[in-house]
Amino acid sequence: MPESRAKAARGRVEEGGESMNHQELITLFSEELFIADLKARDRDGALQEMVDHAAKAGIIRDRDVILGMLKNRESLGSTGLGLGVAFPHGRSLAIPSLMALFARSPKGVDYGAIDGKPVQLFFMFIAPPVEKENRYLPALGQVVEMIRDEQTRQRLLEIKSFPEFRSLILGED
Amino acid sequence: MPSLNEQLLLLVALQDLDTMIREAEDKVHADKLQAMGFPLEGVDDLRRARKELAESIERPLLTRYERILGRLGRAVVPITGDVCLGCFAIIPTSYTSAENRDRILQCENCGRIFYWPRGT
Repeated sequence: MPESRAKAARGRVEEGGESMNHQELITLFSEELFIADLKARDRDGALQEMVDHAAKAGIIRDRDVILGMLKNRESLGSTGLGLGVAFPHGRSLAIPSLMALFARSPKGVDYGAIDGKPVQLFFMFIAPPVEKENRYLPALGQVVEMIRDEQTRQRLLEIKSFPEFRSLILGED
Repeated sequence: MPSLNEQLLLLVALQDLDTMIREAEDKVHADKLQAMGFPLEGVDDLRRARKELAESIERPLLTRYERILGRLGRAVVPITGDVCLGCFAIIPTSYTSAENRDRILQCENCGRIFYWPRGT
């Protein structure tokens, strides 16, 4: 494992005075919200597929409310930050606690990303309006920071299972 | 006419949109997102979406929502367990039955409208 990634994995990223380490971050993800092969090829289809996946897992009560919120969030400005990664996120009453979902699209999604390139990696964060532990923005910031590393992005394109994803986030591989 | 359940979901969607607009206009919150690289340029689009959504809600209900929003900042609040997360008052057990969870009920203490994010 490159030293830069190991260092990043050990370290903490500061986001406006709030921080979250990789151990805390990985607790937000789960095997049931890990999608290795996203089928959709456009933005709305990808959002729908991810929300439906969370609804089937019993995490979301009213999927239409969540989907509407995420689409509205995209009209505020694309969450496709470039380099093939998007971070659909927002707050909704229709979620009881902070939810994190990872999805990968081997073929890429036409997402309207800032750099115009297809998106292959998705980190979705949905938070309730009131969150006592205040983990939403620190988690988002931590992943945005982590994904700047090219080797991390490359490994995320190669992993096949949630345990591999977990090891990568923790800097164990 | 939309069912009560549909009207409640429209209120939930409206509250989500109001939360998004408020956060986009909050400098501290917006600065954090922009520092991460997220553009926040479409607030006017959100306001247009809000107007369209509000028009689909029955007028008396929308008026009630706006009045609570103006007075308390948040009009619809989630219920966790038996607690109103608007004022942290314990709600009557008669409110928590499965059939009541899709009805438009207000907290007897703070007046906010209830929503159960965990379903029935």
